[in-house]
Amino acid sequence: MSQLADLHVQLVELEQSIGTLLDTRPYAMAPEQRNEYLLALFKRELEYACERSSRFSNYVRHWPVSLSAADKIADLPYLPVSVFKANPPLSLVPASEVKRTLRSSSTSGQVPSRVVLDAATSRRMTKGVIAIIRNFVGAARRPYLVIDTQENLGRQSELGARGAAIQALGSFATETVSCLLLDSQGELALDSEKLLACAAKWKEAEVLVYGFTYVIWTQLVGPLKRAGITLNLPNVHVLHSGGWKRLEQQAVTKDQFVRDLASVFACAEDRVIDYYGMVENVGVVYPDCARGYKHVPAFAEVIIRDPLTLAPVEAGEQGLVQVCSVLPTSFPGFLLLTDDMGEIIGHDGCGCGRRGTHFRFLRRVPEVEVRGCGNLETTRQRRGGGT
Amino acid sequence: MRELIHDELIHRIASADEITVAAQRLRKTALEKDLAPGAVLEVFEQWAAALDAPGVREIPGVAFLRLWLRRGTLEPILLRELGPQSLECGWREHGRARLRAFPLGVVGHWPAGNIEIQPILSLTCALLGGNSCVVRVPSGLMDPTRLVIQRLQEVDRDGVLRERIFLASFDHSRIDLQEAMANSVDGAMIWGGEEAVSEVRALPFPHWARVLVFGPRLSVAAIDAGVWGERDQRASWCRRMARDVWQFEQQACSSPQTLFLEHGDGCDAAEFVEDLRAAFQEENRAHPRLGIEPALTSAICQARASWLLDDVANRACFPQSTDWTILQGKGVDIPEPTQGRTLSVLVADDLLHAISKFDGTVQTLGLAVKDSRREEILAEAAGRHGVDRVVRLGQMHVFGSPWDGTDLVRPMVRMVRHVRSQD
Repeated sequence: MSQLADLHVQLVELEQSIGTLLDTRPYAMAPEQRNEYLLALFKRELEYACERSSRFSNYVRHWPVSLSAADKIADLPYLPVSVFKANPPLSLVPASEVKRTLRSSSTSGQVPSRVVLDAATSRRMTKGVIAIIRNFVGAARRPYLVIDTQENLGRQSELGARGAAIQALGSFATETVSCLLLDSQGELALDSEKLLACAAKWKEAEVLVYGFTYVIWTQLVGPLKRAGITLNLPNVHVLHSGGWKRLEQQAVTKDQFVRDLASVFACAEDRVIDYYGMVENVGVVYPDCARGYKHVPAFAEVIIRDPLTLAPVEAGEQGLVQVCSVLPTSFPGFLLLTDDMGEIIGHDGCGCGRRGTHFRFLRRVPEVEVRGCGNLETTRQRRGGGT
Repeated sequence: MRELIHDELIHRIASADEITVAAQRLRKTALEKDLAPGAVLEVFEQWAAALDAPGVREIPGVAFLRLWLRRGTLEPILLRELGPQSLECGWREHGRARLRAFPLGVVGHWPAGNIEIQPILSLTCALLGGNSCVVRVPSGLMDPTRLVIQRLQEVDRDGVLRERIFLASFDHSRIDLQEAMANSVDGAMIWGGEEAVSEVRALPFPHWARVLVFGPRLSVAAIDAGVWGERDQRASWCRRMARDVWQFEQQACSSPQTLFLEHGDGCDAAEFVEDLRAAFQEENRAHPRLGIEPALTSAICQARASWLLDDVANRACFPQSTDWTILQGKGVDIPEPTQGRTLSVLVADDLLHAISKFDGTVQTLGLAVKDSRREEILAEAAGRHGVDRVVRLGQMHVFGSPWDGTDLVRPMVRMVRHVRSQD
């Protein structure tokens, strides 16, 4: 059999195995059963990626533990997320098969990460996000209010983190409305008229709302509070992501954010759901459960590593977050060490009823403050990671 | 008001006045009371002995500091920099004139935050010139500095040095305090990275102040084909290399970031890396890493990954932990340094070619060369291409004068010339 045909067979087999996990209820598998399945699947995915990329193969070949000797997911070779800042982006497919490129959000001056999606990975990404979000807000299709501009709703070959997050939820929508526009100075502004018209129309209906955390705070909550407007949409689910750094700079606490946001919609506070995710970890998002923890779905895993030893830490200890996902086959994003700090709460038995690993996101890794006499750089571009 | 911490050795500064008042007192002492270098050496000698104490000797760099404080190290430096008879406070005849070194007055020290002994090394240079010192101790170095200064306090019974030292602690972002310190000094010794150095240099020093800047630089090691080919010697050279890599977490300007290996007959890079791996493992057993900034962990993982992903011909060797990393490849260009627990080992056809590509950023070249004539040629080339120190591999961190191409004591004294009016 030719090498190409062999790769195709491998991919078909992988597709079946990934599909099995995607069709499973995301938080129902027993951890032991899931670990065994994931370990075997990750090994096959890594072997497949090595066949497709000699560069990736070179990395795997030098890993201190060989694939055959690895007896747990934590032994397998992981990449730091910052490798996706490379240009051209790391890919396991020819350029002709790339359907979309996802770009991470990055603060000023930083190089964004980019990951390439082929049709199959793109399909799995959508399926993964739907499976997770459905578990939190229900399966029904409903009006979808996007706290962003129309520009981020359109399909583009290269998509930023905001656009990717917005479009990933599009499957829940019966209709999609964006309520921000760009004013004459190119600044974001709330289209109050449009928003109020929608609120009047939807009233008691189930509505899905999504926006980046700081965009929601600055462009929705702020203006509505100042104007004394309440939207009276008690049955919304407001999903938001993108981190707290900018709000922390404005001394806005998470409690204050949730309280004010719920008050603007006139909904219960538990209808506001923060989630953690990153473009490199395609198809996997981590919404907060009612207990305030983030859960790992069946097709993924999260490991927290000690920054010194890089060994997995016990529940209750803090370390660097490693995200693992079986979903991508167009880029080697199976096992990624992020620049985020987190804490494993437990590997099963969360009070919310979901099974499997649950964890807490703590903070981004701070930049090194010490500037020594050996440091020739004024800035260091090594950032990547969660939103 | 001033809050005293750390046994009143390091003053936590709240207002600019505290620095100004301290500097006035220090200047008076420096200019009115003679302090002969010989007397300083006497206290230093006792200080060196006192530093060999549990809890102190383990501080990174204290072994070097003890060596630095010895009379045998400093006397030749003083004689070279300040001239004959410089150990006593007095005039020396110089042709038809007399010469005498006087202190500048108060020297301000801005050490880098990553080298535990740097606040001390810096102030010793100024003390040898009879100066008083204001030292801004970086927040991360408070404990080691306190421990080392405590030992000075024990041996300096008459307080001749203590009365000339003021250790200050304040946040680096307090521009008012940085300015007050700069305003109060007659000389400055600034150490650190590009950003820190630029910020301190821009402070409002008096127009007469002499400002001495050290850093930022990086360092490189090189082994020639002759040494590489000597199988029985290779393990010991690798151990020396490991020692230079381990010190100061590879964050000092004298830390080797790259090792150039000159290729020759019978030289197998994989074999060499095996020896180096064994040396690193042994060094790690002897001096285990105790902690790490998570940002450095990310940088190390990134260095490993990008090295192996960038070129399929590249090789690497590392454990699962962050303790050490060897990146192996070919070439004569210094790769971007990780500056922590990561050494690039590059096979080069000719060391001279690698050295001739240095661009002034290399401070120290650590050499292992079999033939002394060849070494002289390499040292000559290094000097021409901006290298300020060429030393034996294994001694890259040994502090000495000149450092960064400049004297350490002489710039902080005024050499006064007296031509007698009677003549």
